[in-house]
Amino acid sequence: MTMKVYLLLAACTALLSSCLKHSIEDAMLNGSGSQSTTATLRYEINGNPVTLSVKNAGNQAVGSRTLYCEKAVGYVLSGVSSAGEFVFTFYTDSLMVGNYSYTSNLGPLFVTTFEGKPQYVYGPSDHMNFSVTSHKDGRISGKFSGQLTPAIVPGYPNNVYGTPGSVLIRNGSFDNVPVFY
Amino acid sequence: MRKRTLAVAALLLCMVQAQAQLGVMKRVGNNTQDYALGFGAFIKSAIPVSEGADVTVELGANLFPLKGYGMKYGTIMCPLKAGYRYTLNGTGQGFYVEPQAGFNLFGLTSLPEEYGNNINLRYHGAVLAAGAGFLFTIGRAPFDLNLRYEMVIAQGGSNNLISLGISRTISFGKKDTDY
Repeated sequence: MTMKVYLLLAACTALLSSCLKHSIEDAMLNGSGSQSTTATLRYEINGNPVTLSVKNAGNQAVGSRTLYCEKAVGYVLSGVSSAGEFVFTFYTDSLMVGNYSYTSNLGPLFVTTFEGKPQYVYGPSDHMNFSVTSHKDGRISGKFSGQLTPAIVPGYPNNVYGTPGSVLIRNGSFDNVPVFY
Repeated sequence: MRKRTLAVAALLLCMVQAQAQLGVMKRVGNNTQDYALGFGAFIKSAIPVSEGADVTVELGANLFPLKGYGMKYGTIMCPLKAGYRYTLNGTGQGFYVEPQAGFNLFGLTSLPEEYGNNINLRYHGAVLAAGAGFLFTIGRAPFDLNLRYEMVIAQGGSNNLISLGISRTISFGKKDTDY
């Protein structure tokens, strides 16, 4: 009886092993489960909803990706929609579940475009707060919010800024965004 | 929370008897050919539940260097496992089998990236292992020679390894044997 239990455990181990073809790093690097997944980015900017959805997000071709997170100096979350570009950098060498924030103390940071003007973390109380709630199978999901200042006369690094903190980002979420390395 | 887990693990490992073990191991599976032979160190405690069987608790550290990079890149995993070690002849000596299950307290795979940056992938995950070995004595010193297949499951993938280890009991035998 005892030997049967051991044999069963050994068989289960062998079965699980054969089912999981990818090593952990391959699964994390390649997003093995992400090819057929729809990635989404949603937020409201001064009450205006923005939605970006990409099917087969894991198969976006290099150079024409519209919603993804890429390892560079930190991890750069990027979304491109008809409303403009949305960018946020997680300054970490290992993107994990947790909270990430950027404040204007760290210097001006472009985040998105709204009403034809680039929006920066610039004003004294400006910020972007991100919460990564899931990082699994090479995909990240989470929530975010923030407060930004428009550059009314763009020309970085000599932007002329408008009313500080006049642009609010609320109810932001990102789901199943593939991470590329 | 993690400190509490480690404290409980340390307490368990100090109970009844403990073994220090060194092992040589090899990662197996797809795309593992870039890894050199790994090595590991373990502390293992056994709580006798019968003459021929123990419940075991093991805390280990497995290190797998990436070929060509010395110790700069590779994978390290620290599994905490519980197991049931059963000697086939029921005496507490000789050949045994030992299924184990547990949790990977720490996992880090560090890889080179083409622009010179490091890619550090951190994970935890479940651990399953199936092992077999031989308990023997040299003089009065008890040893355990064992072979184990182990898998750490996380992030939709698994790191699989085969380990050959030898351990030496370092304290606290409660059974008639020192194992």
